[in-house]
Amino acid sequence: MEIKNLSKRYNGIPALTNISLSVKAGEIHGIVGANGSGKSTLLNILSGSPLIRETGGYHGEISFAGNRVNLKNCAEAIRMGIGMVHQEFALLPDLTIAENIKLSREHTHKFTDRLFGPKYSFIDRKRNDESAARILQKLRLHLDVDVKIINLSTNTRQFVEIARVIDRTDLKLLLLDEPTAVLSRDDGLNLIAVFREMAQNGLGILFISHRLEEMQQICDRVTVFRDGAIVSSYEQGEISIKNLARDMIGHTVHKATAPKREIKARPAISFQQFSVKMPGEEINGLDLTVFEGEILGLTSLSGHGKLALGYGVMGMYPTGGEVIYENKKIDRMDAKANILNGIYVLPDDRQALGMLPEHSLADNIIFTGNQIKNLFSINFGRPFSGFIDRKKADAHVHQLVRNFEIKCASLKQKSKELSGGNQQKVCIARALTLNPKLLIVAEPTRGIDISAKEKILQMLLDINRKNHTTIVIASSELDELKRVCDRIAVMVDGKIFKILLPDASETEFGLALAGEEGTKNEEF
Amino acid sequence: MRLRQRAEQLFNIEHIVPVVFLFLSFFAWQVSGLTGTFVFNQVLTRFIRDGILVLSLIIPVVAGMGLNFAIIVGAMSAQAALLFVISCQVAGLGGILSVIFLSIALSVVLGFAIGHVLNRVKGKEMIVTIIIGFLANSVYQLVFLAGFGTIIPVANKEIILSRGIGVRNAVDLSMYRNTIDKFWLLKIEGLEIPLFMILVVLLFGGMIYYLLHTRFGREVKAAGSGSEKAEVAGINVNLLRIKVIILSMVLAALGQLVYLQNIGMFDVYTAHMNADVFSCAALLAGGASIKSAKIRHALIGIFLFHTLFIVSPQAGQNLFHNAALGEYFRSFVAYGTIAFALIINVKRENM
Amino acid sequence: MKNFSIKPPQVIILIFLIVLIGLAYVLQMDLIVLFNESLIKLVMNGVLVLSLIPMLNAGAGMNFGLPVGITGGLVGLCIAVNFRLTGFSGFFMSLLLSVPICGMLGWLYGLILNRVKGREEIAGTFIGFSVIPLMNYFWTLAPFQNRQMLYPIGGQGLRPKISLEPYFYNVLDQFCLIKIGGIEIPLGLLAFYGLICLFLYLFFRSKVGRAIIATGENEAFSKLSGIDIAGIRLIAVILSTILAGIGICVYSQSYGFIQLYDEPLSMYFPAISAVLIGGSTGRRTYIFEAVLGAYLLQTIYLLTVPIANQILIPEVTEILRTLITYSIILYALLYRDKRGIVH
Repeated sequence: MEIKNLSKRYNGIPALTNISLSVKAGEIHGIVGANGSGKSTLLNILSGSPLIRETGGYHGEISFAGNRVNLKNCAEAIRMGIGMVHQEFALLPDLTIAENIKLSREHTHKFTDRLFGPKYSFIDRKRNDESAARILQKLRLHLDVDVKIINLSTNTRQFVEIARVIDRTDLKLLLLDEPTAVLSRDDGLNLIAVFREMAQNGLGILFISHRLEEMQQICDRVTVFRDGAIVSSYEQGEISIKNLARDMIGHTVHKATAPKREIKARPAISFQQFSVKMPGEEINGLDLTVFEGEILGLTSLSGHGKLALGYGVMGMYPTGGEVIYENKKIDRMDAKANILNGIYVLPDDRQALGMLPEHSLADNIIFTGNQIKNLFSINFGRPFSGFIDRKKADAHVHQLVRNFEIKCASLKQKSKELSGGNQQKVCIARALTLNPKLLIVAEPTRGIDISAKEKILQMLLDINRKNHTTIVIASSELDELKRVCDRIAVMVDGKIFKILLPDASETEFGLALAGEEGTKNEEF
Repeated sequence: MRLRQRAEQLFNIEHIVPVVFLFLSFFAWQVSGLTGTFVFNQVLTRFIRDGILVLSLIIPVVAGMGLNFAIIVGAMSAQAALLFVISCQVAGLGGILSVIFLSIALSVVLGFAIGHVLNRVKGKEMIVTIIIGFLANSVYQLVFLAGFGTIIPVANKEIILSRGIGVRNAVDLSMYRNTIDKFWLLKIEGLEIPLFMILVVLLFGGMIYYLLHTRFGREVKAAGSGSEKAEVAGINVNLLRIKVIILSMVLAALGQLVYLQNIGMFDVYTAHMNADVFSCAALLAGGASIKSAKIRHALIGIFLFHTLFIVSPQAGQNLFHNAALGEYFRSFVAYGTIAFALIINVKRENM
Repeated sequence: MKNFSIKPPQVIILIFLIVLIGLAYVLQMDLIVLFNESLIKLVMNGVLVLSLIPMLNAGAGMNFGLPVGITGGLVGLCIAVNFRLTGFSGFFMSLLLSVPICGMLGWLYGLILNRVKGREEIAGTFIGFSVIPLMNYFWTLAPFQNRQMLYPIGGQGLRPKISLEPYFYNVLDQFCLIKIGGIEIPLGLLAFYGLICLFLYLFFRSKVGRAIIATGENEAFSKLSGIDIAGIRLIAVILSTILAGIGICVYSQSYGFIQLYDEPLSMYFPAISAVLIGGSTGRRTYIFEAVLGAYLLQTIYLLTVPIANQILIPEVTEILRTLITYSIILYALLYRDKRGIVH
C-alpha cells in the first residue's frame, strides 16, 4: 500500500495536506497525532467511508498491491481486502456475537447454494457458531457466541470487533483506530501479541494509538501527524516516547497573554468522584477543585471526558459522585437551579446545543436571562407573564454588540446567518447577561477564524478579570489554554491525570495527554 | 435492579400482549354464547384470508422500518390487476394467471417507488406509509370511479355502473370463486379444515423464515439493528430497504388475491380498507413489537386477534343488548393495540 | 412572516384556485354568494387549523391526534344541548364546558406524547383512531335526557347527527352580520376568530410561549438553558387540545349539526393540510400561515362542489378533496425531513 500526496478538505478547511506514506506487507506502521491532526480522516479515506465522498472526495494517489485504486465506498474497500477496526464500534447491537463476526460471510448449506445462489442460501448456524468461537479463541477469549452484542461490556465488544475483521481470509491490510483505548493494559498487551503474530503472517497493519509506550513496543515504523501533515517519521529502534510526545504537540512560540498569578482563594466548586455518563466522552471518578477567580484549563484527547463536565453539571446526562459549590452540596444536577445559583455552561457544539438558529441574535442573547431570571420582562400577571421590555433589552444587546464587536446587519438578524466567530460571541454575550459566578466553556474557539479567536480569548480574560468570574475552559487547543489559564488539568480516561502549570514544557503535556507517567521526568 | 429486570422479563411484551388477548377472547367467547365449532371455523377462514397479509409485514419490521402500512397499496394493486383482467374478460386459468402476473408487476413497480420515498424519511417510515396508503386509496378511487369508462375503455359492461362511468360497488368473482379453497377439505364433525390453504399460508410463512435465515436475511437484520453501522459493514442499506418493501408489497398483493378469492365477492371500493390496520394489529397481538417480529407472532396473532374479532359483536349484544358496542370494542382493540405498541416501544428505546 | 416565501405546494394551490374561479365565472356562478360563504367557511374550519399551531411550535409535529380535542369539544356541545340551552348562552356554555374537558384530555394526551418523543405523529394518529371507538361507547351509554338527541325509536344512545337548529345554530354567523350590497360580512364571527388569533399571538409573545418556540426549535438548547422541556411540551399539547375543542364548537354552530361517532376522523386531515398550504413546514408556524391556509383550502373545497357537479361525476369532488389533502401532507413529510436536523 502506497499513498502519495494525499490531500483532503472539508468545506475548504484542509484536513490533510500532501500525505505520503507506505505500509508493506508484514509491517506494523504506527501513526500518532493529537486531536484534529488528520488521523481519522486518513482512515476514513482508506476505508471508503461515504462521508469522504459526500464532502467532495480527496486528491492524491493511493495504490494498493501495486494497482492504483479509487475508493468509493466501504463495500469496495472490503472487497479489496482492507479491514478496519473502528474506534466507535461498528457492531450491530441486536445481533449475536456469531452473527456479527460472520456478517455477510456466513457459512451456508451446499444444497441451497446450488439452488438459489449464495446470497439466498440457508445459513448453517452450527458451523457459523463454531467458526466464530474458533476466531475468538485465537484472541484468547472464551465466550458464548449466542449472546447479543448489546449485553456485552465495552472491553469484550472491542475484541468482537477485532475478531470480525481478522476472521476474513482475504485480509491484506488492517486499519486499527485506537484498538487498545478502551482496554485494560493487560488486555491491550494481549491483543498486541496477536497483532504481531498476524503481521508475521504477512499482513500489513496501520496502527493508530495514543499510547506511546505501545507504539514503541510493536511498530516497525512510526509517523507523527500534526495539523494534517507529516512532521516526522521514525524507524524501529529510533522510536522514543519523548520524541513522539514532542513532535505530536509541536513547538509553538506563544506570547503569554495572561500574566502569571498566584491564586490563593477559596474553592469555587469541587468535584469528588464525579462521573458523567455521556456516550463517547465519559467522566469516571473525577476529583477536581476549581478556585474562585481562576481560569482553569481542561484538556484531554477526544473521548477522555473533557467535554462532559459542563453537560454533567447541567444535568444533560446521568451523573454520579459529589459536587460542592460555594460550600453547599448540589443534590441534583438541575439546569435551572444551577443557573440561578450562578453557574452557566457554554457547550462545544454551538449548532446543536448553543443557540436558536431561527431566532434573532438579540433573542439569543437575552433568552436564558429572560426565561430563568426574568430579566427584561414586563409583568401583566399570569398567564401573560413576561412580555419582553424591548427597549430595555435592545439597549442591553446593543451595548454588548458594540463591546464585543459582533458583526451583524441588525440586532434582528437570524443567528444562523452569522459567522461562527460571531455566533460564539453571541453565546458569550448570553452568558454575560446572566452574570454567572462560574462559567464552564467547552471548545470556545472551535471552527472560528484566527482574528475572532483572539477576540474571544480576550473576552474570556476580561470577564474573568473584571467580573471575577471563575472560568473553566475545556479545550483541545493546548496552545490557547497555555495563554489564558492559571492552571491546566489534563484528563485521561475520564479522570484528572495531572495538573500542570501553563509554562510546563510541550513534552510534559504530550506525555500527560498520552497517559504516560513520564518516568524520565527528571530530564526536563 | 435485578428484581426489576426479572420482573421485566416476566412481563415482557412478547408474552403479555398475547396473554391479554387470550384472556379477552376467551371471556368474550363465553359471553357471546357462540359454539366453539362456529368460532373455530370462522377463525380458520380468517387465518387463510389474512394470513399472507400479516406475514407480509414481518420483513419490513425486521429491517427496522416499522409497521409497513403501505401493504394496503399492495392490496390495491392486486385489486386493480383483478379489475383490469375482468374488464378484459379473461376467464378461467388464463385469467387467474394473468391476474397474478399483473398484480405482482404492479406491486413491484409501486414498491420500488415507495421504497425510494421511504429512504428519504428514515425514522418516520410509519407515518409516511399511512399517508401513502390514504393517498393511494384516493388515486385508486379516482381511477375506478371516474377513469373507467371515460379514459379507460371497458369491454366488460357488466362491471360498469349504469351511467357508463365507474365500476360497480361490488363485482362478482364467480368465475374464480373458491377455486383453490375446496382442495383437500377435511370435515371432522362440523369442523371444516381446508388443509390445502392452510398449507399455502404455512408455506409462505416458511418462505419468509427461510429468507430471514439467508445472507440476505442477515443483512436485513443488520440494517434493522443499525443502519449506519450496517453501511460500514459493507451493506448497501438503501437498496436493501427498497428490496424489502418490494417483497412486502408483492406478498401483500398475493395475500389480497387469496383474500378475495376466498370471499368470492369483490367490494371494489372497500375490500382493501383496514387491511393494513387489522394486519398490523394481528401481528402485534401475537407478541411482535415494531422492532422485532417473528413468524410465530404472525401465526399466533391471527388466531388471537380474529377470535376476538368474531366473538365481540355477539358478546356486545349479549352484554349490553347492543351489537354496535361490540363493534366499537373491536375497532378500539385494533387501533389500541397499535397505539400501545408504539408507546411501549419508544419507551424501551429511550432507556 | 418576514421570510415568507412561496413554495411549490402554494404555487399549485394558487394555480388551482385561479382555474377554479375562472371556471366558476365561465359557468356563471354567483361569485358574491361564494365569497360570502368562503368567509364563513374560513372561520368554521379556521379555529381547528389554529389549534395545530402550539404543537407545531413546540416541535411535536403535526397533531394527528386531533380527534382527542374534537371529541372533548363534542362532549361539551352535547351537555349544553342536553340542558336545552339556546342562543349565546348555549354556545358559550358549550365552550365553557369544552375547555376543562379538553384540558383534562390534553393533559393525558400530552403525558403520552412526552413518552414517545420523536414519534408523536404516528403515535398521535393511533391515539386519535383509538379515541373514536372509545368515545362511541360514551355516545351510546351516557345518560343524555334530551329526546331530540337520542335515536328516535328503539336504538340506544345519541344519534349520529344532532340538529342544532332549535338551540344555537348560526349564533355567531348571524351576530353583527353586515350587508353591503350583496356582500355579507359576518362581523361577529370574524371578531371571534380574530380574538382567538390575538390570544395566540400574545401567548407566543409571553415567556411560556417563547419557551415553547425555543423548545421546538432546539430542544437541547432549551434544556441547557434550564427550561422544563416536558412541562413546556405538556402546555403546548393542552393548549392545542383546548383550541381543537373550541374549534369543533365553532364548526358545529356554523354547520348546524353535532356530528358524532366516526365523523371526527374526516375533519383533521383537511385541517393539517390547510396549515401546510399556508406555508408551514411542519415546524414553527405563524398565525398568518394558518389563516391563509385555511382560507385557500376552504375556498377550493367550496368551489369544487358546484363545479364538479356541473362538469364531472359527483363523487369525484370528494375524491379530489382527499387527493389534494393527502398529497400535501405527504409532500410536507417528505420535504421537511430532508432539511430537518431534529434529533
